This record gives sequence, C-alpha cells and structure tokens, in this order.
Amino acid sequence: MASSKLYDSAAAAVADIHDSATVLLGGVSGTNAPTALVSALADRQVRGLTCVCDSTYYGAEVLHRLVAAGCVSRIISPAPFGSGQGDMVHELWRSGDLAIEVVPWGTLAERMRSAGAGIGGVFLPVGIGTRFAEGKEIREVNGVECVFEPPLRGDFALIRANRADSVGNLVYEGAQRGWNSAVVSAARIAIAEVDHVVEPGDIDPEQVITPGIFVNRIARASSAPIG
Amino acid sequence: MTLERLDALSVARRAAAEIIPGSVVAVSGDWSIAVADLVREDKGVWFLRAGGTLSDLPINAADAGAILRGGNVDLSIVQAAQVDSRGSFAGYHATDYPGPQGHAGLIDLAGARRVVTVLPHNGADRAPNILDTLTLPPDGFRCVDTIITDVAVFRVADTGLTLTEVAPGWSAEDIRAITGTEVTVAPGLREMDFTVPPGKPPSKVYADGPSAIADLPDGATVFIDGFGGPGGMAHHLLVSLRDRGSRNLTIVSNTAGIARVVSFGTPPGRTAIDHSVLVENGQVAKAIASFPVSPSVSRPSEFELAYRRGEVDLELVPQGTLAERLRAGGAGIEAFYTPTGAGTLIAEGKESRVIDGREYILEHGLRADFALIRAHRADTRGNLVYRGTSRNFNAVMAPGARVTVVEVDQIVQPGELDPEAVVTPGIFVQRIVRRPDGFTGYE
Repeated sequence: MASSKLYDSAAAAVADIHDSATVLLGGVSGTNAPTALVSALADRQVRGLTCVCDSTYYGAEVLHRLVAAGCVSRIISPAPFGSGQGDMVHELWRSGDLAIEVVPWGTLAERMRSAGAGIGGVFLPVGIGTRFAEGKEIREVNGVECVFEPPLRGDFALIRANRADSVGNLVYEGAQRGWNSAVVSAARIAIAEVDHVVEPGDIDPEQVITPGIFVNRIARASSAPIG
Repeated sequence: MTLERLDALSVARRAAAEIIPGSVVAVSGDWSIAVADLVREDKGVWFLRAGGTLSDLPINAADAGAILRGGNVDLSIVQAAQVDSRGSFAGYHATDYPGPQGHAGLIDLAGARRVVTVLPHNGADRAPNILDTLTLPPDGFRCVDTIITDVAVFRVADTGLTLTEVAPGWSAEDIRAITGTEVTVAPGLREMDFTVPPGKPPSKVYADGPSAIADLPDGATVFIDGFGGPGGMAHHLLVSLRDRGSRNLTIVSNTAGIARVVSFGTPPGRTAIDHSVLVENGQVAKAIASFPVSPSVSRPSEFELAYRRGEVDLELVPQGTLAERLRAGGAGIEAFYTPTGAGTLIAEGKESRVIDGREYILEHGLRADFALIRAHRADTRGNLVYRGTSRNFNAVMAPGARVTVVEVDQIVQPGELDPEAVVTPGIFVQRIVRRPDGFTGYE
C-alpha cells in the first residue's frame, strides 16, 4: 500500500522546504490562501525563497508573513506592490533586498499550466506594445504578434482547498478554485491545506477539480488566525 | 459659470449602456466595477473576474486568462489614467506603483474583443488625461474603441478621436479646450444619456439539430467530439449535418469514425452513427485526427477506404497533442512547444527547439467554425455537465469554435446546475439542442 499523503500538521507537511526553493502560493490577495502552511513555513526561518503569487497587497497577510520573517528574496507576481506608503514589499525592493518580477496574471497562470502540462513554452499575444514584451522573443504566428513565455515550475506549491480524500483528490469552494487549482500541477511537490479529509469514494468523481495525482501532501487547515 | 462634471455613478451608468445582453464582460477599477451592479440580472451578462469567477461559476485562473486571450470576452471596461488618440491606454499613475514595471493587472483585459475606458477627463491639476501620446507606460496598445469620461464620449479610430456625446451643458468647444489631442466632432453629436437599457439575451435553445446547424457552410472546419466508441458523440447533430449536406468539410476529431467498425455495444443488426455518415456521403475533404483508421485490418473504416481512394486528406496528430492544440486554439495560444513526437515522422516540417536539454517541436492552436459536442445536461445559459467518460474531447473543443452546438439529454433552467459542478461554462456554448426522445445513436 502506498504511504499516506495525510500529514499530522502543517509544520510536518512543510518540514523539508529548503532554502532557495521556488514556492507557488495559492489564493488571491491573501484570501482563500493556505495560511496554516505559510505560517508554518515562516516559523522555519528558511531563506532565499522565490515566491510566486497572485498579489501581495490588500492585506495579504500570507505573503507578508513570509517576507517579514526574512524568508523571501524574490517575488513573481502580477501585483507585487501595495499602493500605499510604507508597503513592506516596496521598501525591501527599494533597499535592494528583494527582487521583483512582474508578470501579467493570465500569462503567469499559463506559464504554470505549461509547467504542469509538459509544455516547453507558449506564444501569446499578451503585452505586445507594452513594457511586458520588452526583452522577450517576439514572433508573428498565424499573423498575430506574440511573445514567447516559458514555463514556470515550482519546487513546492502550497494551496488551499475545501475537501480532500486521502488519495489527494480535491474540491474547492467558490472562488477558492481560482489560483489554488492553477498552481497545484506546476510544482514537484504540492501540499494542500484542507478543511475536511474524507475517504476515497466519498467525493463524486464528476465533482473532483484537482485529481489526486497532482497532490503529494495533505494537511488540515488550522482555525488559528495568522499573524 | 463652472460646468458640472459627472459623478462616478453617472459615468458607470453610461458605461453600462455599452453592455449587450448575454455578453461576456471584464471590468477593472472602481468606476468600472460599479458597472456590474447596474446591469440587471435578466440581461444575462457574464462578468469575468481575474481571481477566478465567471459570474456565479468558479473557474481556474489559467482558464480566466484563456477566456480573455481566446476571444471569448466581448468587452473590457477598464478605468484608465490616460488614453491616447490611437487607443492605447495607461492604467496607473507613475506614483501608484514603484519599479520599472509597476503593476500588470490590466494587461490581460486589453485583450478583449472590445475595450472601453472610463476615466476623469482631466487630472487633479486639470491636465488632460486624453493625449496625443501617453506620458505614462501603456497597459493596452491601440485597443480602446470607446472613451467615456466625466464630460464626454469619444469613438477611437486610426484617424483619431471623434466626439460623439457631451455631458449636459457642455459644448464641443468646451470639450476641445480641455482635451490634449485633436478632436473631430461627430455630425450627430448628442447629450450623454444615463439610462441603462434593459434587454434579454437571445435564446440558445434550438428546436432540433437541423435548425441548429442550418448555417453550417461548405468548406467549414468542424470539431466533432467523441473518443472511439459511441459514447459522448453528438449523433443527432451528425445525422443533421449529413442531411444538410454541407461539403468540403475539414473535420477535427479524435478518430475519423471508428465506432461503426469497433461496434462496442451495438445492438444486433444495427450500425453505430459516427463520422462515417459524413464520409460516405462525400462531405469530408480532410480529417485532422489521432486515430483515423480501424483497429481491425479486416474491417476498414469509411474514412480509411476514402483515403485509399485518394478522396480525402489526413493530418495525423498524436492524441495528447490534438487535445492541447484544441485547448490552445480556444485559449488564445497561437503556438506551443511539446516534446511529443520529437524525432519521429510527426516532427517532419515542424520547427524544433531544445529547451532545458530536451527536444520540443512547435505545434499550433486549432480553431473551428463549428463544434458539434455532446453533454448530459445544459441549462438555458449553456452551462454544461457531462457524464463519466463521455466528457472526453467535448470540454476541450467547446471554447475554440465560433459556433459551438451541444446535444444534451436534458435542458434545465439557470440555477438548477450546481455552479461547482459545471464543467463547460455557458459562454462557450452558442446553441443547445435536446436529443430527440427515443434517439439511440444507432441506425
């Protein structure tokens, strides 16, 4: 029998995330995010992480927790900066302690999909004529001007779902699906934080959104607030 | 006398009037987001949100980007900081976000079929926000077709801006005086109106197969669903297409019709309906398929026989590549690199590239004029659920066709399908047909 994917705690599930790892984070602007996993990771004081996420602002305690703990050296995101003064990401970037790569969100999601689907890169018509096409390979394909976008792979993905069975099949709740289901297939090891763990067969196969083959570890969500 | 500028709600009301019943709309910025609240629910409008919702349906973020790129968003309403005379816009003031690139939140929205910007006509210092050339970095390049400000409405063309509407009390000369580029005044210049017109989307439900494909032309490219056996195939639509007789078709499908020869579950004395009905009727010029021949040498398929006679062309595509090309076509991906087939006959004539030490070949997205697909249930908005493995190629074909026609067992009212369980959102489905009672898929 295969070893169980179910871990006793969020801390146990993230125990081997190493310095300099690339970590893909689910959630949007800090909502529907894997808060227990991120909290456990911040406690571990790893260094030099590259974090890929939708955005860091609007009270995104999730990424800020990692940044504040000094774990992050690079952020890849469509919206890395807060718009107010005193934004932590802004200040660290200005002081040279944090590298930033800004990527349009549809392109970011597609680059991760490519990684999960074994695609070597895609030609997209996104960002032509803007700063997001600068420095990239540009080619006309089928009469459409496109930029080449390579896959973006993670060492780990930390995601939040509503329900998992013990083999890792996942269902989400509402907008939770958005970025969580988009990042899960792009990492070598995907860790899902869920509200409920059920037995195989308890989830209707027609309703499974993320097949268990993409999910390596499952931890129960903590009800404790982060921060 | 100081002329009154409109408040944000009035601008949003004017922008809401741009929304066509049943269309797909993406919005960004406070002024734009207010628009969604002004559109009545019975107008059947879909609102796409980048975080992963399409009105009440939860969707994957990669699918949200795909919907924008794939030409499935009819209209983006974007709050801009500046617009230029050629329709490029900047979304943010230089002070909003630091860094050389700032914020990328609006780049995807610029890819909608139509882009409308809303913005204050002038900045806090009264400097014009509509200019010959942007002074801020663009987020959309020559994509805006209509500009709505707190004093006027402009249409954008290659020749520049045309003033079509003014706020109450304002004249064309007043507008010219505060605009940073040349303005042509439309002959029918009128006062802005703030009523949001009601309206209902046209019904997607058709009486039967023949009426749903009555305009499928000769020479069309048609996606046809199914896998190998009879499951998950739109048999009623196939027979309807045979009866219509459209010719010179390019069919894109997993097989080119082998259900008849493999005979899985076929009742004695009957014949499974598959692509063969089109091939033997002389309607197919070419197939793009991954499994075009019969698994049995002694029982060749109709397509195989026609191929041997030199009557049809074939483009052979590996199965996973076929699915990925279909997905790419629907997702606005013009081309992609895949390792499948590198070093084989499949790679002949295709560009190859070594990426991270592995050889890949370049494959292109596939689009169609029509897709004929099969699902279990549809609601009248076109949201679909499938049953078991009959999902096969259906879900991946729906987004990439200009007209997707679905054959279902049951049509229900909006709200009757669990949004969490919808597999194909209704934005991808243009026409719905119920499979006739007693229709079996065999002749």
